[in-house]
Amino acid sequence: MTGAAAHTIETRRRTQLLVGAGLLVGLIILPVLIPSPYWRGLMVLVLLYAGLSQGWNVLGGYCGQISLGHALYFGLGAYTSTLLFTRLGIPPTIGLFAGGALGGAAALLVGWPCFRLSGHYYAIATLVFGLIGLLLVENWDWVGAAEGITIPFRQQSWIDLQFRIAVLPFDYAMLAYAALAWLVAWLVEGSRWGFYWRAVKDDSIASRSLGVRVFPSKMAAAAISGAITGVGGALYAQYIGFIDPPSTFGLSLSVLIALPAVVGGVGTLWGPLLGAAVLIPVQQISIAKLGGAAGGVDLMIYGGLILVLALVRPQGLISLFGIRGAAGDAVVENG
Amino acid sequence: MTIETPAVGRRTVLGAAVGAAALTSGPALAAAPPDILVGAVYPLSGNAAPIGNDARVALETAAAIINGHHDVPMLLGQGGGLPALGGAKIKLIFADSQNSPQIAQSEAERLITQDKVVAIIGSYTSATAVTISQICNRYEVPYISAENSAPSLSEQGLTWFFRPSPTDIAYQASTPSLAVEAARLRAANADVLMPSSYTNDAILLVRSMHNVGYTPKAIMAQDAGFIDPAFIAAVGPLAEGVMSRSSYASDAEKTRPAIPKVNALYKSGTKGKDLDDLSAREFTALQVLADAINRAGSTKNTALQAALKTTDIPGNQTIMPWKGIKFDATGQNILGNPVIQQYQHGAWHTIFPADVATADAIWTVGT
Repeated sequence: MTGAAAHTIETRRRTQLLVGAGLLVGLIILPVLIPSPYWRGLMVLVLLYAGLSQGWNVLGGYCGQISLGHALYFGLGAYTSTLLFTRLGIPPTIGLFAGGALGGAAALLVGWPCFRLSGHYYAIATLVFGLIGLLLVENWDWVGAAEGITIPFRQQSWIDLQFRIAVLPFDYAMLAYAALAWLVAWLVEGSRWGFYWRAVKDDSIASRSLGVRVFPSKMAAAAISGAITGVGGALYAQYIGFIDPPSTFGLSLSVLIALPAVVGGVGTLWGPLLGAAVLIPVQQISIAKLGGAAGGVDLMIYGGLILVLALVRPQGLISLFGIRGAAGDAVVENG
Repeated sequence: MTIETPAVGRRTVLGAAVGAAALTSGPALAAAPPDILVGAVYPLSGNAAPIGNDARVALETAAAIINGHHDVPMLLGQGGGLPALGGAKIKLIFADSQNSPQIAQSEAERLITQDKVVAIIGSYTSATAVTISQICNRYEVPYISAENSAPSLSEQGLTWFFRPSPTDIAYQASTPSLAVEAARLRAANADVLMPSSYTNDAILLVRSMHNVGYTPKAIMAQDAGFIDPAFIAAVGPLAEGVMSRSSYASDAEKTRPAIPKVNALYKSGTKGKDLDDLSAREFTALQVLADAINRAGSTKNTALQAALKTTDIPGNQTIMPWKGIKFDATGQNILGNPVIQQYQHGAWHTIFPADVATADAIWTVGT
């Protein structure tokens, strides 16, 4: 790497940090300007999926290991913090770290045997692990089995993340989550791990010959990715107040977690946020406007939009802005 | 998406006529009272969509009777809107939960905060009922649980939760009376089979029993596969004498005179389906809500909550075979007893309890 190139990368990373900080300030002000709880609720979901998808992006985007089982880590996070709260009275603000730790640990356990698989086999393996998790929880009475767990409302409290009208506080809780997930991605993108991941993604054999420790790199990406997803699961549980196996371990959730990154731009810093900011409102508004009319028209429109985006912008929406992936990687090369 | 019932369309025309009249005769004529908006959250797409769409027809049928002029012999069956609110009409606003607790929650929140519905009815599955009932409780809007059967729902300590229909526990609580019947059988040295299975298993079970020559004195099934028309079609005369619990009794028209008309209206809306256990309870949920709004004389949430708490509808004013509808402190109907039906001479007949029974129990199975 030449000194000039390193200088350019540093400049761009500083710019990204500034843009991120500016956006954060804007998003702090935004909920106050939104008059309706419904639209504030929409913002909660956008930020939740931005954070989740950013987590998925670390493993699936930067490191190129496509996971179709992230609901496993999400569900573990949701159930861990919920059980700690309902059974032991431990506040979810602490429980979410336990949920994140468990999500990260589970991603390591899945990665240990599966990272030896290459290409599509890893994706299939994660799918299977996700479904095993779903089946185990559905049949485990102690965690509520198929009936799920209702989180009782106790009192208005930031420590317990419980609010009578939850949308405004959760706008900020999810903003903190999405911002931290973004910051983690920003940090690792510029770190040695970030360079390893992109090397592994482009050509794992060539990178190994150059001294990249492929297996440990993948494991590190999995741990970070699983932990971010687990924390998101814990926040989701507290926001919704109810968890059951299909809504926290379901296959469709694994797809929903990956989708914003894929649509926004895989392996880019801004892709997951942009993808979530487009997909979630389209989904929710089409349900609101067309869902009552039956026939699944809303789902067809949503699916059609994704199809069109995939055809017209396979590099992701982020390419519309002429923004390239972090250190001049995937976006341009894949495009 | 808002769905206008035919009756509402008529009202709009009427409203326009009144408006035109007001132009000529001055302010003497009062404007028609505003519609009363009621939200309904059901799975209208995905696997459970057929059930959600039947629920939509059941609720629209109830609204059409209350708003229109079908003259059905039941509470509010005379039509013409809610009398205590100057003939105000019920207008239903449907939302699709896609059977997801999260979407059910955000759609309920939208109905409450954007559409300003006065109450929400739902929701088929218990998972969606949990999130809707919690949101309703936080915004202090009544949630009428039409057919969610999980007992835990009324144990959440929610003061805006009302469930006219019996829970799974109520079915269990009704077994002492079954035990009496069972004891009678035991005294007669009889044997009773109490299966609970889906359609395919029910068909297999009855056929295999026939094949091995085993004939219990009675089969007491738990709803599900045994009341599926496909079961009867598959096993034919072997179904004779099979009993099942149910919460709706289609043959109770002698003591529930509203049933034929309501069923006919529902049937035309569904292109040939009869009311069943689910749709009958959904129909009744809107009747219960409309009665409370009418007695409250207003759509103010606290007045509506108070009216719901003092609900007292005799069973014969509904289409349900229940003793009546009266809520306890948890919002659970304490008069909602399930019934037992028996397949006799090619049709289901209610045999228990006595006040709605249309046939005596037969203690043989098969022909």
